[in-house]
Amino acid sequence: MIQVSNLVKRYGDLIALDHFNLEVKKGEIFGLLGPNGSGKTTAINCMLSLLKYSKGSVSLFGEPMTPEHYRNKRRIGVVMQNVAVFNELTVVENIDYFCGLYVPDKKRRRALLDEAIEFTGLGEFRKFLPKKLSGGLLRRLNIACGIAHKPELIFLDEPTVAVDPQSRNHILEGIRELNRGGATIVYTSHYMEEVEQLCSRIMIMDKGKSVAIGTKEDLKAMIRAGEKLTVEVYGLSGAALDEIKAIDGLVQTEYDGHTLTARCASEIHRLGAVLDVLTRRQIAFGSVFSEPPTLNDVFLEITGKDLKD
Amino acid sequence: MFWNIYSKRVLCGLREKESMFWTWIFPLLLSTMFFFTFTSLDTVGQLRAFPLGVVDDAAYHRDAAFRSALESVSGEDGLFELTAFGDAADADAALVKGEIEGYILAGEPPALIVTGDDINQTIAKGFLDRYLQTRNSVALILASNPGAVNDLPALLQWADYTKEISLAQNPPSNRISYFYALLAMVCLYGGFQGLITVVYLQANLSPLGARRTVAPLGNWGAAVCDLLGGLTVHLTGVIVVVAYIVFVLGTDFGSKLWLVLLTCLAGSLLGVAFGAMIAAMSKFKEQVKIAILITFCMVCSFLSGLMVQGVNYIVAEHAAMISWLNPAARIADSFYCLYYYDTYDRYLLNLGIILAMTVVFFTAASLFLRRQRYESI
Repeated sequence: MIQVSNLVKRYGDLIALDHFNLEVKKGEIFGLLGPNGSGKTTAINCMLSLLKYSKGSVSLFGEPMTPEHYRNKRRIGVVMQNVAVFNELTVVENIDYFCGLYVPDKKRRRALLDEAIEFTGLGEFRKFLPKKLSGGLLRRLNIACGIAHKPELIFLDEPTVAVDPQSRNHILEGIRELNRGGATIVYTSHYMEEVEQLCSRIMIMDKGKSVAIGTKEDLKAMIRAGEKLTVEVYGLSGAALDEIKAIDGLVQTEYDGHTLTARCASEIHRLGAVLDVLTRRQIAFGSVFSEPPTLNDVFLEITGKDLKD
Repeated sequence: MFWNIYSKRVLCGLREKESMFWTWIFPLLLSTMFFFTFTSLDTVGQLRAFPLGVVDDAAYHRDAAFRSALESVSGEDGLFELTAFGDAADADAALVKGEIEGYILAGEPPALIVTGDDINQTIAKGFLDRYLQTRNSVALILASNPGAVNDLPALLQWADYTKEISLAQNPPSNRISYFYALLAMVCLYGGFQGLITVVYLQANLSPLGARRTVAPLGNWGAAVCDLLGGLTVHLTGVIVVVAYIVFVLGTDFGSKLWLVLLTCLAGSLLGVAFGAMIAAMSKFKEQVKIAILITFCMVCSFLSGLMVQGVNYIVAEHAAMISWLNPAARIADSFYCLYYYDTYDRYLLNLGIILAMTVVFFTAASLFLRRQRYESI
């Protein structure tokens, strides 16, 4: 469906995409995860032929993508990072306008318009102008405008930025539904939880490069760190801490006076052993948390920095 | 596809408050202000009958010839609004109160009593002098040749050695040039539509432009549909302003109203093209571009005589090239030609310059609009 090879994009001296490669298969929800400025949006804009690039090639649906490749463009839907709707047109008029750029037949367009409105839950707001909509509803309108023509390939660039949880869930469920309907989806976000929940395959990007690619399980298996243990404990002695640090399979242990944090090696579970030391030494402890590794951990280990930075 | 883009563009244009203010509300307010401020300009210098008294005494009654002459030049369309007084004291009192400009006391010779020396008193004195001169001439002719009584009308014929002719097909009007400059400014405000069209078309200028660029339509097709939509909205506004000035404010634009509208169309096209060029050539924010556009329109309008009458003539005399290249001046001059000139030579020259500028602006804009792929967004 998408084949990107050795793409290089520069903004002056800054390399925004550095020999970027990507392959997306039909029916996937493919996630591009990375911090702001990692090159996700630039990659999408190059794939859509909006941006010139210095080197490399992009092909969509098996054909090289160019700005004049209208046949390909007709099969693509794009939801931009910034809301791109006409402030002077109502919800219905906006969707009708953008759908009309792809579907000339008015009768068919009306049916698609109704579907898009139902899909995004904007039925009550058909006659509303965008300025009367909340941030979440505005994002839904933005999505409706991008997908109303039922594209086969959809690019969603950070569609949930600044969206309330209710609208976010609605949007994420909608994306799954689009995928179930046969659409291939390229989804960018810097929210790792979203990408983890939604995407069948994920690419982690940093500084215009792909640093890791695979399913979420593949990615987590790539790193040394596994489960993260957090125990609320007061008065932990140096000897007890040393004993915990000596437990086989713990790769990183820290204590700050009230919280003990320990990181297990990949696919190793040591919560029982830690609690055993505390019980044996009769050290009282409060709440206990055990978290599997996240994509943030993957990013942290690979790049040495936090995904949220 | 055309109707989808065109109709939505018209809707957007009609709902876009900023451009609606500048192209609809502002000109209507300004033309109303012009109407109330400059209505008196066309009547300045015109003679109106003024109040003059006459003492209606026995001498006045005896002098039938003088009475007849005085009454013949009085009335609504005459020189005087004649008021009769019983005696000189009453006339004096009215003169002091300012109810009359002066009064005539019949006698030998009749006397004019005034308190001032402005134009009305001069007119009254002129009438009296001419009456006395004519009366004396008649008396002299009849005394020397009583048989010439039948030839008196011919002998008393005053010869006019000057003749008033009109160089223009319509009467001169001072205030109309303000309305022409105003209409020229409104035409240039078509730039708002051109500017918005291009901003919403270019991926590097707005998210909307990016969304439209990824759609399967060429920039040209979209630009033409959009510009036509914008032009429709703008031209509707211009026609409303013309109708308001002509039919509500009662300003006479002459008999060539269709050509006035044609000029509005050409001027609006020029405005739209200019706005499109401003938007396409720079990467400033939309508000900055609007500020540039308004400034340009205001400067051009000032130089075409919108704010101060006669500036256009001064510019034409001392900086002819600026005058010829000033779009507002060309549009206003086109209206002027239609109103005053019998021939179309100068009008067609203006129209040619307007269309040439339009082509230049659209060409410049199109060089930038060609791009469909950008260095950065």
